[in-house]
Amino acid sequence: MAGPLAPTWTPDTSVEEHGDLDRPWVTIVWNDPVNLMNYVTFVLQELFGYDEAKATELMLQVHHEGRAIVSSGPRERMEHDTSRLHAYGLWASYQKDS
Amino acid sequence: MKPFRARQGAIVARLDRAEAGIVGLLLDQLEQLLAADADDVAGDPVLDRLFPPGHRSDREMAEDYRELTEESLRGGKADDLATVRATLPADGGEVRLDLDQAGAWLRTSNDLRLALGTRLDITEDSEPPEEIADETDHQLAVYYWLTAVQGSLVDALVAGRAGRR
Repeated sequence: MAGPLAPTWTPDTSVEEHGDLDRPWVTIVWNDPVNLMNYVTFVLQELFGYDEAKATELMLQVHHEGRAIVSSGPRERMEHDTSRLHAYGLWASYQKDS
Repeated sequence: MKPFRARQGAIVARLDRAEAGIVGLLLDQLEQLLAADADDVAGDPVLDRLFPPGHRSDREMAEDYRELTEESLRGGKADDLATVRATLPADGGEVRLDLDQAGAWLRTSNDLRLALGTRLDITEDSEPPEEIADETDHQLAVYYWLTAVQGSLVDALVAGRAGRR
């Protein structure tokens, strides 16, 4: 539909790309059959300062849905968070948020 | 075994002689694996599990991550292992830990479970053996014993944390 007030410009796609750059990275914990539920909850509290309710919620999400985002932010920080989780043996990785 | 519990600011358990011996043996195995020449153990599923890729689909990023982190992760595991060894009563007896030492026990016992669990193909449906008929049953029994040890350690740390508030 076109009318007298219709914009004559086309959206600048670079804006979208810029938005993509700003999109945060995330750290994900994946479900695995070895790590104990109370251990995962404990580690999430220790590393991220979550209270018990929040840490339990994330742990249950990992358990039932197979994965949960446990932190988000710049790539370097997600690398760091992933390595802290790996130090505790959690199955973690980082990626651009989708 | 007397499971871990929080007592007067310390985390305490008791292992009998055979149990302490098993932990010592598992520590030896983990230490050997971590110290092995990379070429000799390339593709070992336990190492893959202890040092998983940081990125799942981008190989280059996963390689960068490995270069950035593996050395310090290995160093941390070696330090934890040394702490567990130093606080393990070789002939059985009381294990008495401060919070830092308990953290080392927590991470190392998890690594031992990850190693055993990977070798034994543990799934969420796995169960403790009903009888010990062969070596696999024996290792499964050790795995579930370690699970109980680690579970009690987590509970003791949570109780200790509540006690400090």
